[in-house]
Amino acid sequence: MSMTFNLAWRLFKHEARRGELTIILLAIVLSVGAVLSLSLFSERLQGALKSRSAAFIAADAQLRSDKPIDESWLVKAKAEDLNTAKQVSTRSMVFKDDDMSLVDLRAVNEHYPLKGMVGVAEVPFGQKKDTNTLPERGEAWVQSRLFQSLKLQVGDKIDIGDARVTVTRVLADIPDAGFSVFNTDPIVLMRMEDLPSANITGPGSRARYISYFAGEASDVKSYSSWLLPQLNDDLHSWRTVQDDESAIGRSVARAERYFLLASLLAIVLAAVSIAVAAQRYAQRHFDPVAIMKTLGATKQTIRKVYLIQILLITLLGILIGLVVGFIGQHVVVSLVADRVDVSLNVWHWRPVIIAIATGATCAILFSLYPLLQLFSVPPLRVLRKDLDASLRSRSIQFVASGGAIFALMWMYSQDLKISAILFASGAALVIGLLVATYFLIAIGRKLGSGSIGPWQLAWARIKRRAMDNSVQLISFSITIMLLLVVLVMRNDMVSQWRAQLPQGTPNYFLTNITPDIQKRLDRHFSDNSVDINEFFPVTRGRFVSVNGEGVNTEVSKEEESSNEGRRGLGREANLTWGNSLQKENEIIEGVWHGELDSDYDKGWYPVSVEEGVAERLDIKMGDMLNFNVGSEIVKTKVTSLRKVNWQTMQPNFFFVIHPEAMAAFSPTYITSFYLPTDRKDELTKLLKPFASVTMFDVDARINQLRDIVEQVSVAVEFILVLVLMAGSLVLIAQVQASMDERRQEIAILRTLGAKGSLIRKSVVFEFLIIGTVAGFMAALANELSLYLLQTNVFQMSATLHVEYWFVAPAVGALVVGVLGAIGCWRLLTLNTGELLRKMV
Amino acid sequence: MTPMIKTSTVTKTVNTSEGSLQILQPISFEVKAGESVAIIGASGSGKSTLLGLLAGLDEVTSGEIYLDGEALHNMDEEQRAVLRGSKVGFIFQSFMLVQSLTALENVMLPAEISGLDNPKKLAMDILEQVGLAHRAHHFPNQLSGGEQQRVAIARAFITSPKILFADEPTGNLDAKNSGKIEELLFELNRNTGTTLVLVTHDTELAEHCDRQLTMHAGELTETTSASTSPSEVS
Repeated sequence: MSMTFNLAWRLFKHEARRGELTIILLAIVLSVGAVLSLSLFSERLQGALKSRSAAFIAADAQLRSDKPIDESWLVKAKAEDLNTAKQVSTRSMVFKDDDMSLVDLRAVNEHYPLKGMVGVAEVPFGQKKDTNTLPERGEAWVQSRLFQSLKLQVGDKIDIGDARVTVTRVLADIPDAGFSVFNTDPIVLMRMEDLPSANITGPGSRARYISYFAGEASDVKSYSSWLLPQLNDDLHSWRTVQDDESAIGRSVARAERYFLLASLLAIVLAAVSIAVAAQRYAQRHFDPVAIMKTLGATKQTIRKVYLIQILLITLLGILIGLVVGFIGQHVVVSLVADRVDVSLNVWHWRPVIIAIATGATCAILFSLYPLLQLFSVPPLRVLRKDLDASLRSRSIQFVASGGAIFALMWMYSQDLKISAILFASGAALVIGLLVATYFLIAIGRKLGSGSIGPWQLAWARIKRRAMDNSVQLISFSITIMLLLVVLVMRNDMVSQWRAQLPQGTPNYFLTNITPDIQKRLDRHFSDNSVDINEFFPVTRGRFVSVNGEGVNTEVSKEEESSNEGRRGLGREANLTWGNSLQKENEIIEGVWHGELDSDYDKGWYPVSVEEGVAERLDIKMGDMLNFNVGSEIVKTKVTSLRKVNWQTMQPNFFFVIHPEAMAAFSPTYITSFYLPTDRKDELTKLLKPFASVTMFDVDARINQLRDIVEQVSVAVEFILVLVLMAGSLVLIAQVQASMDERRQEIAILRTLGAKGSLIRKSVVFEFLIIGTVAGFMAALANELSLYLLQTNVFQMSATLHVEYWFVAPAVGALVVGVLGAIGCWRLLTLNTGELLRKMV
Repeated sequence: MTPMIKTSTVTKTVNTSEGSLQILQPISFEVKAGESVAIIGASGSGKSTLLGLLAGLDEVTSGEIYLDGEALHNMDEEQRAVLRGSKVGFIFQSFMLVQSLTALENVMLPAEISGLDNPKKLAMDILEQVGLAHRAHHFPNQLSGGEQQRVAIARAFITSPKILFADEPTGNLDAKNSGKIEELLFELNRNTGTTLVLVTHDTELAEHCDRQLTMHAGELTETTSASTSPSEVS
């Protein structure tokens, strides 16, 4: 053993010093460094985003219950090092003198909120400011709308049940307010200690008890695994940051998936670079192995010597990679620090373990085939240089590399689906490329014949090394494809995010607009240069039956609003009517009733139903739905199903009925408008003449959303840059590896007196051809992967990216061509004697 | 006395795209211990193929080869490797030094593989003998062709092999260096009593050997023999 170790160590030492190991070492350093920096950064970023999204539930986790929560559960939570807070919420009437209003009462203890901040304003509808304080006992903070409806002033007293409290501040926002334009009542925030005196949470009340938990993720997890088995599904619901189904929650989840994808692709890129480097390393050792075998070394000795060498290289690569990765993520974090609140204080072990595992797995599994080839070099090579490895079957390589990539993807993502999609499209790409290469070579055969010029030399080389070229082409294509996937996903995702909230997105909603003031309001707003959007008629209707079968409409408010941005089917639904299809609505089945002939059977009216609610309530096309509006039954038949983009900030409806059905009813209208933040002061003036109209201020929420989108976009861009860097390094490694193979030919051509320009051009042309084909194949494979990823993983609408069909081949040709030219230039600077010597 | 090398009707056939091709016709001959034999012939005559078979680097298609009484033709690759390590030394036209090891380490290599004691001292001693002790820590690409071949000779002799195979040992060298290498090779051969089998197309070099065998289109004939009768070759 000591002999083999000494020999391995000696080879390692000298080769490292002479730069022979640079490429393979760099590949391992790159893989470990890229994976560590990416995953460490993404872990930190996820932490930052999670704490942002934690603000939307005011904690890391919430337990909601219809009955008071067992105190012992909170004691246990404290024992697990979790912070806790409590809230009781209920809908209640609030009185001021003779006026009254239904409010969303939130009674909290002194620890609320655990995450996020309570926002207050100086005046109703004024600018929001965060505060660390809460109402004192005997005080209440109320939202602007209540100031409006009860004509309140700060310092007024209001009655909540039997308690009388003083309104001391304008409440702008609480972290877990939720968001729904319909049916939300103004929030009144008060102290839980005042609740008993109000006497409103007795038996029969619909109070909701919420406990908040915050702490280390592991503590929350262990607590939840202790708690969950004890919960009663009918009574309790457990929500964590991850369960956040809001638009923000979905954006964050999508961003997380993107980081995951980018990191996965970084792993694949790293793996490809290791495979390329290992192949090169093995080929350079064919002679030493043949010599050692000739001198009497057994296979076992050779195996040991090279395994020890690979282990030494891997260890060194991992060590340097960890340092590089750590520095890398520090640099990235410091670059984004002013835009994203990423903390460097917490140390994450998972990325370190993953980076080490990636380096080790890649180095060992990807060098397996080259090493097996190396071990199989016959000693006779010392006499016959043309003999190389006797191991020819590439199936081992495909199985080992494929298995390694899949295992890494799965281990890293813990998501079989995303791994399978990437892997399947990778496999399809490999097969497609093999076919394409042979096809290309067949076409090129004609071009390659005739007098010798750079094109002919380039084609002749491609033709002669068909197999090597396919492998090279595949690795170029995979690299370009992965870069494209990361780039296009980023563009699509960021543009879809931004499209949800374009500049001028309505930030105020008005409801309760009666027909008699609709025109006046419209005119008043335009006089004040505020554009007001479409008015939608709304009337409340009770959804009573489907095909004559009664529907249980006793759905609790919690269930109704469990999906932020949507309304479930409570006691009443908001019905609208109209002949034109709303923006961001798409008919997926049937025909929109605006386009239906009007001579339908008069026993019913057409209704268009949103697909989600149709699925939930098992409503099919042609079903008869009855609504109770006022005292009348409106009979409808489902003539279309609609897909609605719930992520837009516009009023959306589950049911849109034909206008004729509703002609007899008097609606109120809902509309929205955009007012720039700097004109916020004009709100009071704008609304003063319309006291009965209710206004919802979603400006803060929209800004918050936009903020998150911006932050996530910045992060996504940095990750893109990291992956691009990783990809470029892989390309360089590939070109460099292939330069070795060209060295001999260049030496011969030089010896024969070929001009440097002929050789350079022929090599550049060869790389141009390979780059173009690789780029084109990558664009096609990219399209397939994107389609699968966007529809299956990211829940986005898939789009074609025809521009990349042109961009990718052009960029492929340019990048690969330039890299080829640089590599070739280096070789051409050596004189022929040096070249020939280096061949030995 | 057992011959150091004994071949009996050795043939080699290779498969090509146009069918099988017999590159060695049945060859039988013997080489005594301490003898030096030159195999001469034109390029493609099969001399390197024969060398590969005699050295156990390749397998015979049919026939028998005995090295120092051991039946090489019955051995697998691993057994042949062990035999090479213990009894055979090599010198090649292209020197075949491991580029990433120093001259000293190249010379140590066979001694280490064979498990000899104190390989470093052995290697230094022999480098001294070939006049390269001062270049011990240089890498092959820092040495001239002649120096590289002297390192290769030192490497070949470090295990005191019973048989030394040399494939065109002066083929890559100029006249001056060729002369030095020839001198060194035969001197060491005489001093150590090693059996030398040398493949060359340099007739001058061949004439230094005890016997000359000529390969022509896969057939072997005895050209000259200083001490043995032509009947030993068939």
